[in-house]
Amino acid sequence: MRLGRNKMPAAPSAARQPLSAIARGARAVVVGVLGDDSLAERLRASGLWPGAPVEALARAPFGGPLLVRVHGFRLALRREEAARVEVAEVVVP
Amino acid sequence: MTGAAAARRIALVGRANAGKTSLLMHLTGTLQRPVNFPGSSVECVASDVVEGGVRLCVVDLPGLASLQAQSSDEQAALDALQGRAGPAPDLLCAVLDASKLAVELAFLRQLRRLGRPLVVALTKTDVAASEGFPVDTARLQLAIGLPLVVVDGRTGAGAAALRALLAAAEIGGSERALVDRGDGPAASPAAVLPRVIARSATDAIDRWLLHPVCGPIALVAVMVAMFQLVFVVADPAIGWIEAAQDWFGGVVGGLVAHEALRSFLVDGMVNGVGSSLVFVPQIALLYAFVTVVEASGYMARAVFLLDQPLRKVGLSGKSFVPLTSSFACAIPGIVAARILGDERDRLATIVTAPLMSCSARLPVYVVMLAAFFPPQQAGLLLFLLYALGLVVAVAVALVLRRTALRGGGSLLVMELPTYQWPQLRLVAAHTGYAVRSFLRTAGSVILVATVVVWALGYFPRPAAIGERFATLRAAAPAGEAGAARRAQLDAEEAAAYLEQSWLARAGKAAQPVFAPAGFDWRMTVGVLAAFPARELVVPTLGTLYSLGEVEASADAPDERLAASLRSTLGPDGRPTLDALTALAVMAFFALCSQCVGTLAAIRRETHSWRWPLFTFAYMTALAWLVAVAIQQIGRALLS
Repeated sequence: MRLGRNKMPAAPSAARQPLSAIARGARAVVVGVLGDDSLAERLRASGLWPGAPVEALARAPFGGPLLVRVHGFRLALRREEAARVEVAEVVVP
Repeated sequence: MTGAAAARRIALVGRANAGKTSLLMHLTGTLQRPVNFPGSSVECVASDVVEGGVRLCVVDLPGLASLQAQSSDEQAALDALQGRAGPAPDLLCAVLDASKLAVELAFLRQLRRLGRPLVVALTKTDVAASEGFPVDTARLQLAIGLPLVVVDGRTGAGAAALRALLAAAEIGGSERALVDRGDGPAASPAAVLPRVIARSATDAIDRWLLHPVCGPIALVAVMVAMFQLVFVVADPAIGWIEAAQDWFGGVVGGLVAHEALRSFLVDGMVNGVGSSLVFVPQIALLYAFVTVVEASGYMARAVFLLDQPLRKVGLSGKSFVPLTSSFACAIPGIVAARILGDERDRLATIVTAPLMSCSARLPVYVVMLAAFFPPQQAGLLLFLLYALGLVVAVAVALVLRRTALRGGGSLLVMELPTYQWPQLRLVAAHTGYAVRSFLRTAGSVILVATVVVWALGYFPRPAAIGERFATLRAAAPAGEAGAARRAQLDAEEAAAYLEQSWLARAGKAAQPVFAPAGFDWRMTVGVLAAFPARELVVPTLGTLYSLGEVEASADAPDERLAASLRSTLGPDGRPTLDALTALAVMAFFALCSQCVGTLAAIRRETHSWRWPLFTFAYMTALAWLVAVAIQQIGRALLS
């Protein structure tokens, strides 16, 4: 059950992947934020710290930002910003 | 705390959207005065209230999400917080959003390290409950070990208790537990938060409003509604103000016998005040609308949907907020650009904001369209004029981001709040504040400028003209029979005075510059008079074009002006204005930056003369080029 692209439902994957890659509706757990610049600081201050459960809620059209739920609120971030957040245990409903 | 004179400075600290502003309103009753942080242009709202013999000076700091600043707003808030700009606050009141408790507690840990006396106001507990995780405040207070009051930003419940706490909290000594000595008791989010999140109403709404197809359609609908509100609903109110202005001018004119003084009061003062007042309905409606959109939580969704398209042209999704405000007036729009964290994004937004057709341009469009185009074409042309500003703004932003403002890039990372019904009180307070500051700043500039334009158009008064017309008037038949002739002579006399006034001389001197665009000297005077403020164009054109008119009609002022714009003849006996020239005039005003207030705002916000001068130069050049192109290409096609 460790195949990243497993189509079977409710199959958590231990493989790390960027938050930007998870599908709409998928849930995952933050492993960490890459880098140590102001973006990384802002992402951590927004609750994307290790262990935080996240859920992908929506994607804006034309490759725009994505919306995730973290700690019960909704956070919008651009795809390249989300690419800095590593998640694991991805569950696609 | 030493008796009745004691005052303490209290800073409200928290995230943007945590509810600081409505909390301040409930704490002190009003949003009284804007204050600038020392050494910066960042404005915040402060208000005073007396509680238990202590005067509380409460400052609402710009939103902070962590103690590392990302924007000039946040830097100013941090400086104020840490006493780097003026005296440090005596007491911090952390305004924490219960619906984001996990990150708020992380922020609180950072705040405690500042070592300042600290109390907590917990807001939005109703939102947390509606999102499916009610907060156990008793447990939370035990966990954080700080005085905590639950306040409801909508009803104001809890504000009195918080006021009492702010007045009574110990701020001097360190013996009380208010000054924290480190991280304090562990306030782990897991201790106070359930892990399972239920679907909420906001999720259901977002399913449609953020849908890849329905979302953009809804956004366009919201924008159309905004323009309908500003241009259709405001119309009757504008009519009432104009009627009141006419009536008042008539009353004043009847009371004052002295000719120059009467002209000064009626044409200068009443006209000047009136020409600023007519914008109040539109500005009030636009602000009310923007506040409703913002308070309901939709503004953040618009930013989310528009981020990618706006980035493609070198702006940011967050530019949407300042650019939207600029449709009412560029000045608050330029100030609102502070929400952009990246300096290059902010400058690109500031420099393009004046291209959004502000409400001061609308009267020019309305008068020209009414005079030269049938109503069914006028609506389309009005839309095209707004589109012209947008298209040029996109082009300018694209060029700038590839040249002077290359590189950089802001962060988006922002919260999309839970949808809420906007509070009427907050909407009213914001709208009232916007209208007052418009009247204070724009009103004074416009008033002074109107008086200057009046004086330049009134003087000099050579005696020869007066004598000539006195003779003609004496020759006219007496009584009813000569009334029409005398009225015509009055108008001719006024026109004769105006033709040799300083204003007309300036217009005639500058006219060659605008000749390729087809502007006659009167329109050139309009352009010159518009420089202090665009609000002056229509009153000035009214004076210049209507003075030659014979009969006073009972039509609306716009109708009167429209008729005289069509009928004014040039030296060659042909009308000086036609539909093509009207198009050139409107395009010129759509693109030019004839507004001292806007340029002053850019100077203030960029701390240099470079950007206001650049904005003025590029906009004026573009406006002239487009007006000339319309006139020359149009003539070539028509002939």
